[in-house]
Amino acid sequence: MTEQVVGRPERHFVSVVTLLIALFIVGICGPAQTCFAQSPKPDPAGIATGDRTSVTDAAGNPFVVPEPTDKTAPDYAAAKKSYDDYQAQAAKEPLATKLADGVGHLRIGTNFAWTLNTGYLVLFMQAGFALLTCGLVRKKNAAHLMMLNFAAYVFAFLAYYAVGYGFQFGAMAINSAPANIGGTPTLNHFLIGSGSWGWLGGKGFFLSGPAYDAGSNVLTLFEVVFMETAGYIIVGAICERITFWAFLLCELFIGAFLYPVFGCWVWGGGWMSQLGSSWHLGHGYVDFAGSTVVHAVGGFCAMALAVILGPRLGKYGKDGKPRAFPAHNIVYVVTGTFILLFGWMGFNPGSTLGATDLRISVVAVNTNLSAVAGSAVAMLLWYALFGKPDITMACNGMLAGLVAITAPCAFVSPTSAIIIGVLAGALVCGGVLFFERVVKIDDPCGAISVHGLCGWLGAVSLGIFADGTYGSGWNGVGAASYLGHAGQGVTGLLHGDIRQFWVQLGGATLCAVWAFGATFLVFFVVNKIKPMRVTAEAEQQGLDVPEFGMVAYPEDALVTVDY
Amino acid sequence: MKRIDAIIRPNCLDAVKDSLVSIGVEGMTVAEVRGFGRQKGHTEVYRGTEYSVDFVPKLMVTILAADARVASILEAIAKGARTGKMGDGKIVVTSVDEVVRIRNGEHGDAAI
Repeated sequence: MTEQVVGRPERHFVSVVTLLIALFIVGICGPAQTCFAQSPKPDPAGIATGDRTSVTDAAGNPFVVPEPTDKTAPDYAAAKKSYDDYQAQAAKEPLATKLADGVGHLRIGTNFAWTLNTGYLVLFMQAGFALLTCGLVRKKNAAHLMMLNFAAYVFAFLAYYAVGYGFQFGAMAINSAPANIGGTPTLNHFLIGSGSWGWLGGKGFFLSGPAYDAGSNVLTLFEVVFMETAGYIIVGAICERITFWAFLLCELFIGAFLYPVFGCWVWGGGWMSQLGSSWHLGHGYVDFAGSTVVHAVGGFCAMALAVILGPRLGKYGKDGKPRAFPAHNIVYVVTGTFILLFGWMGFNPGSTLGATDLRISVVAVNTNLSAVAGSAVAMLLWYALFGKPDITMACNGMLAGLVAITAPCAFVSPTSAIIIGVLAGALVCGGVLFFERVVKIDDPCGAISVHGLCGWLGAVSLGIFADGTYGSGWNGVGAASYLGHAGQGVTGLLHGDIRQFWVQLGGATLCAVWAFGATFLVFFVVNKIKPMRVTAEAEQQGLDVPEFGMVAYPEDALVTVDY
Repeated sequence: MKRIDAIIRPNCLDAVKDSLVSIGVEGMTVAEVRGFGRQKGHTEVYRGTEYSVDFVPKLMVTILAADARVASILEAIAKGARTGKMGDGKIVVTSVDEVVRIRNGEHGDAAI
């Protein structure tokens, strides 16, 4: 039958493209890594990571007093005395300094465990999102949704392993060394840019050489699962009509390029994080756990793909009015949402990269407050508008609150967390109605509204509500004092830092433009070369059998196999 | 021989079954079906968009009967399934040409 032959050209296409990309990457990245032989040595066994220099007290003061280098600084005399006192004491009590080496190693070990375990929680969110999105679509596409979520993890991971991590964190040690996990000193080169104007990292490709290091691997595990989150967000908007080969290309694109580039700018020590130093814009662009780096990137990428693909068949009638395609499994939708909420306990608190940063408890509570506020508002709003609380909107409301608090969670008070959740709940309700009725972009799971709009809201909310109680010295700004106060952290508009608001507004908007623009450019071309949408026949039948040759549920089994 | 198909409300199944068993009916088949008549469906809202739920879930109970028993079976079904409101359902009686018991090959009334 001709249907079976149709699958083969797509498979060849994907394999050839993947091979070409891999060869290209090895071609440019292989030589690049060997050029910089005099870098710090990587520590793959973890036996040289964590020592007395890793020891700090609760306030962050280091055990090993650093030698002051700036003789013209006003506190030079006091700093020099501290340093001399430390040196004298260290000479008198060598056992104490040896003990400090042990303490430092233990501290780093604690933070390794913390970061890895919270990373595993985020990994589990894959299951949550798979259940959520599967439940939200029609039964005939259940296997397709599950496979998209599954394959997303697989292929985006491989792309990130190859080049994504290197692009995003290859220069981490320059401006953003993660002290909590040992500083990753081997990741110290920008492929494009330098100093405060880094655009793309240049170490750690194929996770080898400088990245074959215990500390770097902690970062890799933690950050890859965040990238995966952006990767699966797009499923929510492009499902029920995208071909599998086109989807794999999307995932490779996100894992290798779209996500790591913006991620470098914000988290990898790139230019956006350094705007506090370079252009005196607050603490530079700040996004604690990724409202924009993860969620808005995913949401606006999803939007571009949804525009290119077009709406599902029958979604809009001849009169242009939308038609409902009700969720086929509300049990999955709610269970999935709970799993995502649980996983978010890794997503936000984990982003301290350390259990020794005790702000983790405030982060955890703020995260929950925003989640429940968002859900409550969505339920009540829907009750008021339509007479019954839509269960799927209640879930979307919770997720909206979670997405929106992801950037500001470490920097705001519980009251602000509630307010942010309320705003997100209202925004997601408006967004869902707006995209469906006004702009007519078909978004089966509300991914654009939950992740795109509320991700943007989260980063901007940070610029409004951050109260300065945490984040002193963030992005290298104001470590000694900020806005006239010692220990003042990241601060927003309502607490006196309007420049932080401007950089947040600009950065969040740039994220939307980047994610939408880059995706649209690339996939508009891809779609012109070979349409990314399934045939009408396949779409009407449901993609489970045409794309994967199987059904999701036993009661729909095509062949009875009872012997 | 007759085939009796009764479309009933799902929650009336137990009452209909008990009623039939009490008059000596020894077998029946039940299928889940959807349909509408004068009861009609209704509209719901999903994520802000209205849609009609025209088809209402019902059960179809199928019984094979000898001609003499049909009247009492119809009465028993109606007793178990009637609520007096629209949507109670309908019973259809059709003639059957042949019935065969697969186990031993019995035909006709002996197979019912």
